[in-house]
Amino acid sequence: MDVVSVFIPCTVDLFLPHIGEAAVSLLRRAGVKPIYHTEQTCCGQPAINAGYREQAKKAAKHFIQVFGDDKEVVSPSGSCVCMVKYHYPELLSEEPEWRNRAEELSLRIYELSQYLVDILKVEDLGASFEGKVAYHESCHVLRGLGVSEQPKKLIRAVKGTQLVPLNAADACCGFGGEFANRYPDISESMVRDKAGDYLSSGADLLLLCEPGCLLNIGGFLSRNHPGKKVMHLASFLAQYQKTMNNGQ
Amino acid sequence: MEVKTEQFSEVAKEELRKAYTFLKAGANFVRIRRETALSTFPDATAAQAYGAIIRAEAIARLPELLEEFEKNALANGAKVFWARDANEASQYIVRLAKERGIKYVTKGKSMVTEEIGLNEALEKNGVKTWETDLGEFIIQLLGVPPFHIVGPAINIPVAKVRDLFIEKIDLKEPTSDPVQLGHAARIFLRDKFHRVDMGIAGVNMAVAETGTIVNVENEGNIRFNKSSPRTQISVMSLEKVVPTLEDALHLVRLLCRNCTGQKLSVYVSMDNGPKKSDEMDGPEELIIVIVDNGRSRIYQDTIAREAMRCIRCGACLNGCPVYRQIGGYAYGWVYSGPMGQVLNPLLLGLEKTQDLYRATTLCGSCKSICPAGIDHPRLFLHYRAKDVSGDAALRAKKPPMMERIFFRLWMWAVTRYRLWNWGVRFVRPFVNKEAHEGMLREVGGLFKGWFRSRDLPAMAKKTFHDCWRETQKTEFRSQKRQ
Repeated sequence: MDVVSVFIPCTVDLFLPHIGEAAVSLLRRAGVKPIYHTEQTCCGQPAINAGYREQAKKAAKHFIQVFGDDKEVVSPSGSCVCMVKYHYPELLSEEPEWRNRAEELSLRIYELSQYLVDILKVEDLGASFEGKVAYHESCHVLRGLGVSEQPKKLIRAVKGTQLVPLNAADACCGFGGEFANRYPDISESMVRDKAGDYLSSGADLLLLCEPGCLLNIGGFLSRNHPGKKVMHLASFLAQYQKTMNNGQ
Repeated sequence: MEVKTEQFSEVAKEELRKAYTFLKAGANFVRIRRETALSTFPDATAAQAYGAIIRAEAIARLPELLEEFEKNALANGAKVFWARDANEASQYIVRLAKERGIKYVTKGKSMVTEEIGLNEALEKNGVKTWETDLGEFIIQLLGVPPFHIVGPAINIPVAKVRDLFIEKIDLKEPTSDPVQLGHAARIFLRDKFHRVDMGIAGVNMAVAETGTIVNVENEGNIRFNKSSPRTQISVMSLEKVVPTLEDALHLVRLLCRNCTGQKLSVYVSMDNGPKKSDEMDGPEELIIVIVDNGRSRIYQDTIAREAMRCIRCGACLNGCPVYRQIGGYAYGWVYSGPMGQVLNPLLLGLEKTQDLYRATTLCGSCKSICPAGIDHPRLFLHYRAKDVSGDAALRAKKPPMMERIFFRLWMWAVTRYRLWNWGVRFVRPFVNKEAHEGMLREVGGLFKGWFRSRDLPAMAKKTFHDCWRETQKTEFRSQKRQ
């Protein structure tokens, strides 16, 4: 059985571990064996975004050492994959050996829905959900990685589910990491618009592929529209899997 | 123009209260128009990429292209003046006006003339200035800064323009019909054009190959400014130069589509020097003022210089989710939106413009839209890194001690997974103190910005690390049993 290495973002590790568990479960369902290197910590995004390049370099080197020998690496986060794919080679550009390793790794790292659909060629993961869902196109997933059709294919394969249009689906939700806390007025205005678009879409559920967006939109909904839910696509697909044999 | 970049947050907050619904609706409208116009290219993606290559070459060869431009402009009979800084540029133009006994000048829209404070310098020296671009005319009468680099008065309601015209330009019939109001402005400005002896305009492209000045516009006022007075002054910043006429024409195609969704603006005018001796019409002298104002210093930074590729199309403003919320005033100076966020910090220094390269989610819309291929998010990260390292060339300011300590601790934890896991376990009880039904509404007064309107899930009792290790132990034990 093929092995795939799972990279769990720090946000998921600390706040949303069920997304990680869902990702692992889906990969098993798709017929691969997920492995998890316990030495992993964080891709370094917070440091590079704050301008702390030296610290980010250390994080990058640690990451490359942990994942460097893996054939393929998968993560349920577009921004983290972007960080490794695009920022690591540039970050380490002055150290040719590290840069080569970074460039090499950048060819082998995928966002989860991208990996399932494009690499494993799986769209139906056996989920079923009666209802309407809308999909938020996270910035790093859509513009960073060019991933948009893959999540939608996975959603359309879910029995009973109708994917409804979301107004301004590709508009930024206002997370931006530190941005949300440092410029709360602007961030709130953006997430309020996103929530409003969700509410007016008629969807029962909002789905997305980015833990940061999930914390932002989910946090706003929790405080202001408690009944409305937003889920990571992995959690959605794993949670609504039709019951299997409980053979294990 | 007065620098208010340090008031970004307060002004943004104030502007958000106004809830500019027109901005969001307008941005959508403009987006569709832009996409429709771009689709008239056989391959829009290639056309945009080609524009990026032209601008990349222009910046890479900037010094030699500027010299080539000067040589050919001089050969065309133009005069060329190199202005080191804002003061030198505006004082030179004041001197030209005084020498020629000029009482007033008419102006075509030019962001660089706002950058150098030209209007203020002229007025101070007894030369009246009349902006003739309708939007600029309106904000000049109102005394407010531009709201958008292309449409400086898009936020001014029609009723306010009507009242302004009644007060300032003797509007006879109080009408709210925009066409009638435009007509009233036209009549008023016609009078100014009639007797103008010195016209000042900006430059869209300066063609090195031929020494040509290219302007695009929809109103015709720039052409009037250039061709009817005795003296034409064209003001440009260094980066306006392009290698060839073919390059300039391709950029004009991109500029118009990206800017207003037009395949071509209503007027495109090109000047190869002043009126020749056998020509009937045209200015007797064409004086080109080339403004540096810190750009050759910026040019030394091979990453930052990418910001100079900008062709001022304004598409990044229309596509920016932050600009669409706050409008142009918050950016605090001449250039607003993402292009202002990459340019102002270079011209004013990183310390004065802290918020401009931080008030962004790095969503990448600007980068994906830009016909000049500017990677704004990369530049924002570059400025942040330069700021943290206290770079002198870019006039940075080192960050507070607490922040530097935090990232040092973070770095230790990130490279030592046991320390990371231990740190998580240590911090969890403090973070989760106020948790209620698995959600946090506050964390000891920290992250107030977040918690004002958002909850956060409590830190999970078991991290993914913990869950995995447990599952492995269970599986191992069950395997042993079998």
